[in-house]
Amino acid sequence: MILSSYFYSQAIKLALSQIWANRKRSLLTALGIIVGVASTTSVIAALSGLKANVLTEFESFGANRIYVFPDRPDDKPRNLYPREKIRIKPWEVREIQNSCPSLRAITPVTEFGVSVASEQRELEGITVVGIWPDWHEAENRQVIAGRIFNRIDESNARQVCLLNEAAIDELRLPADAVGSHVLLDGRRFLVVGVIETLQARMFGDGGNTAEIFIPFALAMKLQSSDIFIRVTALARGTELSEEARSEITQTMRRIRGINPGDSDTFRVVAIDQYIEQFKSLAAGITAIAAGIVGISLLVGGIGIMNIMLVSVSERTREIGLRKAVGATPAAIMMQFLLEAMVLCLAGGLVGVMIGKVFAIGLTMIPGAQLQHADVPLWAVMLSFAFSALVGLGFGFFPALKAARLDPIEALRHE
Amino acid sequence: MICVRTLRKIYKMGEEEIHALRGVDLDIGKNEMVAVMGASGSGKSTLMNIIGCLDQPTDGTYELDGQRVSQMSEAALALVRNEKIGFVFQSFELLARQTALENVELPLIYSREVGLTGRERTRRALQALERVKLSDRVTHRPSQLSGGQKQRVAIARAILNHPAILMADEPTGNLDSVTTREVMGIFQQLHAEGQTVLIVTHENDVASFCQRVIRLRDGLVLSDLPIAQDLAGRH
Ligand SMILES: Nc1ncnc2c1ncn2[C@@H]1O[C@H](COP(=O)(O)OP(=O)(O)O)[C@@H](O)[C@H]1O
Ligand SMILES: [Mg+2]
Repeated sequence: MILSSYFYSQAIKLALSQIWANRKRSLLTALGIIVGVASTTSVIAALSGLKANVLTEFESFGANRIYVFPDRPDDKPRNLYPREKIRIKPWEVREIQNSCPSLRAITPVTEFGVSVASEQRELEGITVVGIWPDWHEAENRQVIAGRIFNRIDESNARQVCLLNEAAIDELRLPADAVGSHVLLDGRRFLVVGVIETLQARMFGDGGNTAEIFIPFALAMKLQSSDIFIRVTALARGTELSEEARSEITQTMRRIRGINPGDSDTFRVVAIDQYIEQFKSLAAGITAIAAGIVGISLLVGGIGIMNIMLVSVSERTREIGLRKAVGATPAAIMMQFLLEAMVLCLAGGLVGVMIGKVFAIGLTMIPGAQLQHADVPLWAVMLSFAFSALVGLGFGFFPALKAARLDPIEALRHE
Repeated sequence: MICVRTLRKIYKMGEEEIHALRGVDLDIGKNEMVAVMGASGSGKSTLMNIIGCLDQPTDGTYELDGQRVSQMSEAALALVRNEKIGFVFQSFELLARQTALENVELPLIYSREVGLTGRERTRRALQALERVKLSDRVTHRPSQLSGGQKQRVAIARAILNHPAILMADEPTGNLDSVTTREVMGIFQQLHAEGQTVLIVTHENDVASFCQRVIRLRDGLVLSDLPIAQDLAGRH
C-alpha cells in the first residue's frame, strides 16, 4: 500500500488541527511526556554542565599525576598494622624512584605548621611543605623568580626556602623577595625563589593561601621521625599512568614484604581514576534520569492511548466517510498513528524547550559553576525519538481499532 | 455497467439469521438514472452498500464496469470506491472544520494517481463545485451553508473522481421539498451530462426525477419498470 505525499501532508495537517482544536485536552494528555522530557533534559543539562567543569578542572590538575598515601587496611585489626609499618619513609620513595621507569618525577611531601616571621610581621600556623626539587615537575609549578632547590640544598639540609606570592604579601616582604630572610620557628631561612600562588579551584588545595617550601631533608630534621609523608609523582604520559600505578604498587609491596593476598598498606591514587569515577557517576545519574523519563513516558503513553481511543470514537463517522471515499485500512491506521506521534512529538518539543530554558537558568546561577550547562543534541534527539516511539507504541491499538471499523457501521454511529 | 446476479446477504445476529437480500438480479446500464424504492427493511440500504463496495454479499456475483468486485480484498475495494464510486449520504457527512473546497478534495488524499499537483487538485475540486453550481461558496464551511448547499458539496465530492456510478441513499431525507427539488435538479443535470445515477428513496416525488424505478420487498425485486409505467401502476 503506497500512500501519497499529499496523504502524509494532509494527515499531519489534520493531526495538528486536531491538537489545536482540542488544545486543553491535548495539553493535559501530553503533560506526562512534557514533564518527563523536561525533567530529563534538565537533569542532563545540569550534569553536562557539571561534567564540562569537572573535566576541565581535572585536566588542569593533570591526568598523569599520581599520589601515594599511607593506608591502613580497613578490614584488618589495628594492632597488626602499627603506625610505623604504615607510614611512608623517605628511602621507600627513593626506591620507587629507582624502580619505576614509567615515572618522570617523584617527590615525598610532608607538611607541618610553624610560626613565620619577617622583619615586618610574624604569622602563626603557616603551613611549611618539605619537598624534593622534583616537586616542581611533579606538581607542574615553577618558580617565577629566583631558583628551585638544588641537590646541595637537599643533601646539606640547607636553611633555604621558597615562598608563594601570598606568603610574600602576608609577610610584607618586598615583591622581589629573593635574597630576603625569614624566621621559621626562630631559624633563619634564605628565600631563594618565588612560586606562583594557586588559584582557588573546585578540587585540591584551597588556593590563595600562604605557602612556604623547604628542602625535604630539612623538614625531616625539624620534625619527629614518625612524620606523615605522602608522595606526589608524575607518569611519563597519560597513557603510562596506569602502568606507573602498578609499578608503584609492586615496588611498595616488594619493599614492604607484603605477601600475595595480603592487603596493601598504602594507597596509590591517580586523577584519571577520579575522572573515571566521576564519569561513571554521571552515567549513573543519566541512567536514573532515563529511568524517570521511561516511567513518565509510560504514564504519558497511557494517557495518549486513552485520548486516541476517545478521538477514534468521537470521529467514527469521519472514519466511515473516509473509508467510503476510498481510504484503505492502512491509510486510516497511518493517519491515527501519525496523529498520536505528532501529539507526542509536540509534547516532546515543549519538554525540550522547558529543559533548554532550565539549562539557561542554570548557567545564570552565580557561583554554581554550571556555566556550560546545556541540553546536548543527543538528548534532544533522544527525547524526540522516545516521544515518537511512545506515540507509535501507544497509538497502535487505537489506530488499529480505527482501521478495523466497518464503514457502514461507522457511518451509522451517533 | 452494473451486473448483479442472485445476490444474497444474510446478517447473523447470534443464533438468528436475517435474510436482507434473497437473490437479487439487476442490470443498470451506462447513463441510466434509477430509483430504488421499497418499504423500510426491504433491503434497499443493504443492496446499495454492496453495489457501493462498502459490503460484500454472502452469495451471488457483482460486476462493476466489467470488474468482478465480489470477493475482493478490503484494500482493493477501497480503491474501487475511490475511483469508481461516488457516495451521497442522507446526512451529508461533511467535515465541519474544512471548507467546501477541502471537503470536495478529500477523495484525492486516497487517490492512487501519481504526480498530482496541488493546483490540479484545486482545479478538479473547483470544477466539481461548478457542476453543482456552488462556485460562490468555495471557502465556506459547512456551518455557513444551507442544507441544500451542504448536499451539493457532498455531491461535488462524490463526482470529483468521475465515478462510474453516483449513488445516494435517501439524499433528500433531511431536506424540505424546495431544497429536495434543488438537489434532485442537480442529480438530473449530472445525469444529462452522462453520469450514471442510483438513488434510494421512499418518496415518489424524488423517484419521479428518475427514468426507472426498482421496487424491493423482503429482499427481492418486486418490480423494475420505467418511471411512467411505475407511477401509472401505483394509481
Ligand atoms: N448490520 C446489520 N445487522 C443485522 N441486520 C441488519 C443489518 N443491516 C440491516 N439489517 C437488516 O436487514 C434488513 C434490511 O435492511 P436495510 O437494507 O437497511 O433496509 P432498508 O434500507 O430498505 O430500510 C432489515 O431487516 C434490517 O434489520
Ligand atoms: Mg435504509
